[in-house]
Amino acid sequence: MNERQDWALEVEDLTVAYADKPVLWDIDLQVPEGVKMAIIGPNGAGKSTLVKAAMGLVKPVAGEVRIFGRSRERAEGQIAYVPQRATLSWDFPTDVIDVVTMGTYGRVGWFRRCGSAEKEEAMAALEQVGMTDFARRPIAALSGGQQQRVLLARALVQDAPIYILDEPFQGVDAPTERAIIEVLDELADIGKTIIVVHHDLQTITEYFNAVLLLNVRAIDSGLVEEVFTEENLRLTFGGRVGVLAASGAGGL
Amino acid sequence: MKLKTTLAMVPVLIVMAACGGGAPAPTDGGAVRVVATTNIVGDLVRTIGGPNVEVEALMGPGIDPHLYKASAGDVRRMSSAEAIFYSGVHLEGKMSEVLERMGERGMRTVAVAECVPEENLIESTGFSGLHDPHVWFDVALWSQTVGCVVETMADLDPDHADAYRERAAAYVDELVALDGWVRERVEDLAPEQRVLVTAHDAFGYFGRAYGFEVRGLLGVSTASEAGTSDVQNLAGFIVEHEIPAIFVETSVPPRYVQALQEAVRARGFGVEIGGSLYSDALGNPGTPAGTYAGTVRANVETIVTALAEPADAD
Amino acid sequence: MDLFGDYTLRLVALGSAVLGATSGALGSFAYLRRQSLLGDAVSHAALPGIVLAFMLTGSKAPLVLMLGAGLAGWIGTLAVQVVVRRSRVPYDSALGIVLAVFFGVGLVLLTHIQKLPNAAQAGLESFLFGQAASLLRRDVVTMAVLGAAALVILLLLWKEFKVLSFDPDFAAGLGLPVRRLDGVLTLLLVVAIIIGLQTVGVVLMSAMIVAPGAAARQWSRRLAPMVAMAAAIGIFSGVTGSIFSSYLPRLPTGPTIVLVLSAIFVISLFMAPHRGLLWRSLRFGVLRTAPDLDPVLMHLYALSHQHPDDPEHGHSVAVIRTMSPPEAKVDAALERLADRGLAQRTAVGGWAPTPIGRREAQRILDREAGEGS
Repeated sequence: MNERQDWALEVEDLTVAYADKPVLWDIDLQVPEGVKMAIIGPNGAGKSTLVKAAMGLVKPVAGEVRIFGRSRERAEGQIAYVPQRATLSWDFPTDVIDVVTMGTYGRVGWFRRCGSAEKEEAMAALEQVGMTDFARRPIAALSGGQQQRVLLARALVQDAPIYILDEPFQGVDAPTERAIIEVLDELADIGKTIIVVHHDLQTITEYFNAVLLLNVRAIDSGLVEEVFTEENLRLTFGGRVGVLAASGAGGL
Repeated sequence: MKLKTTLAMVPVLIVMAACGGGAPAPTDGGAVRVVATTNIVGDLVRTIGGPNVEVEALMGPGIDPHLYKASAGDVRRMSSAEAIFYSGVHLEGKMSEVLERMGERGMRTVAVAECVPEENLIESTGFSGLHDPHVWFDVALWSQTVGCVVETMADLDPDHADAYRERAAAYVDELVALDGWVRERVEDLAPEQRVLVTAHDAFGYFGRAYGFEVRGLLGVSTASEAGTSDVQNLAGFIVEHEIPAIFVETSVPPRYVQALQEAVRARGFGVEIGGSLYSDALGNPGTPAGTYAGTVRANVETIVTALAEPADAD
Repeated sequence: MDLFGDYTLRLVALGSAVLGATSGALGSFAYLRRQSLLGDAVSHAALPGIVLAFMLTGSKAPLVLMLGAGLAGWIGTLAVQVVVRRSRVPYDSALGIVLAVFFGVGLVLLTHIQKLPNAAQAGLESFLFGQAASLLRRDVVTMAVLGAAALVILLLLWKEFKVLSFDPDFAAGLGLPVRRLDGVLTLLLVVAIIIGLQTVGVVLMSAMIVAPGAAARQWSRRLAPMVAMAAAIGIFSGVTGSIFSSYLPRLPTGPTIVLVLSAIFVISLFMAPHRGLLWRSLRFGVLRTAPDLDPVLMHLYALSHQHPDDPEHGHSVAVIRTMSPPEAKVDAALERLADRGLAQRTAVGGWAPTPIGRREAQRILDREAGEGS
């Protein structure tokens, strides 16, 4: 009953603050394996921060993150991360195939170079996202949608059990959005856990089966049909930002 | 934040420590307090002043006067002295502003080398209108600076004027004798052996007075930089003239001369480092080289001994 | 005298080449990670380390002084991190503060030690601008050993450093120890800097870190060629600077090397293909659309998309005028586009883009997509 199943991602009492201001407050979240979960909330709700805390990129003031039951520090390589495009410097001297091959670095090990096996895996991932023609293109010459596909291919190559994507549909064209969702569906079908910070409320019910409504506090989380309600949306987006929003973050 | 204030305190503490050291000694009853820049000048003033004068030299042994920058403590010492004696002719290159300001404030400043009539000074090849400041290695020329010092002391302290004049006269005699000794000693070298290669061009007057050809790697001031062509040319010169020894100086990093030696060795000629010369500073006080006369003797001995032996070319 | 027959020149050129290679290679990473100013801060922060090393050990051996320099430079980087993490001071300000404070402490210490007997013998002031002509064989051996070690580590950790520089968050997700890798890369940068201090000095070292990578970036599209080219530029500058200073008397080697490097950088900025300014103005001079022509061309292009099977289908000037802001001089723009071969009149008095015009419009779109977000 209360023994710890191995959730893919479990967050307990997580609080993160920047300069004494809480950005995430007392977050509890259990994400089972195989779901497609969206994280939604207004600007400043802490969505990216939650993702970064899950990755171990920010230090929480309180609380814990566990990946498949193991503490964060020992869960290396379990998360394939697709960051926001804007955070990267696309002027970096490299080409598409090179970026995608980065997904294999965790496996290849120290001091060794990537070989033809890794190149093949990278090409396969590019095929999945429809970018094989662009393999040798410098990344500076890519459009927004192309960049997003490349980042997704890189995550695919890593072949991790958990995928976290931060605003992957921001500023991409419709064909790219469709292509990405198809890939995510395929991943979920084979049991991968997908977590996406998402901004478009219109597509929640179509793309995802679980959702976390976040506004510094966890407003609610669970199956889309149960939790994605008018009431919850009002609590999350209307009203004030901050810790005084309604309590209650249920498990699934 | 604590860390930031600590960081900010570090430079403040260091400045305070630098100023704090060297608190001025309480004045003796009667002795005239003066400040000298180099210890060469200090030795001169001390010899003439005797017990009636308290001389504080800003630069000690092994200090390079071309590069020396006056600290806040030095400025304080100079301000509270009755006179400031310095070498002049731009020897104390980085102190010229400070010395000027002292003069403007009404402090009595005396440039001893500028007592020497200008026609006796060597013109600097690099900088027209300027002269080589290293006058003290021509002993006879150096004795011409005594006049300025004794006049200043007599002026400041008329009660002891006679004592100063007596000491000055005795000192000039001593210097004349020293000059004679040097001329004799260098006779032990044949004219073609008299080539002196040092770290910087400090020995121009020595060369002119005693018949040496003099070459320095750096120029007249150590503030200049040697380029690789300077090393190459000098190395070529040394090999050509089969010079057996080159000399480091106490107040200049020895690595310049070591690099020169390596360059000469690479040309197949084994030049030795003949010893260390006191160029811009006297030796340690209490040692024979702690006085001007002692330094001159030590230098000449080193030079003549090293150059007298023929080189082993390999 | 034959070019490298001279011992001194060989020695100085070799030392400068080692300096150029390591600072070029490691400086490239600093450049890509937008940490060029860090190189400047570390060089200046090294000064108090050099002086303190002399004060504490009394030794003038270059290795000892370089260790002091490295330690102080390293502490400088830690100080920057602490300031950034514990306060609201932004990164570049923190760099400036650390640079100024450490360098100032160094200068104060230099003034302080000139009182110590035989301090002049250590020649510490020469670390400000370097004193390449006084390099001894053992100095160059030390530089070569340190430089080789740094480059070997760089090669061993190449892919880790690559992903760290491009996307450190993703690297963390892969399970790489990002903090420690960052520490190692910074340490290698510090080593590259201290190798150069004897030759070009504290003040000019930052140029050796920044310029080769920045110049190489103009010529290359991938990381390995960029780093290799930066190293080559560094070597070339070092050797050429040494040669110049060996032919002209009283020409200090360190600043000469930096001048050669700067010349290469300026040339790269102008002449490199694709990115160079000269190239761009030549290429676009022929096809270049002035800013006021671009929107009209884009409208033509958008309109032509509605008739993908009929590229010659024209649209009237009136339509284009309605798509443009009222003050736009559409007619004149269309004429100038026609002059440049980007637009053409069609049979019924309309306008359409030419094939060249379509390519140009697509290129503008691609470029904007790449530059945006």
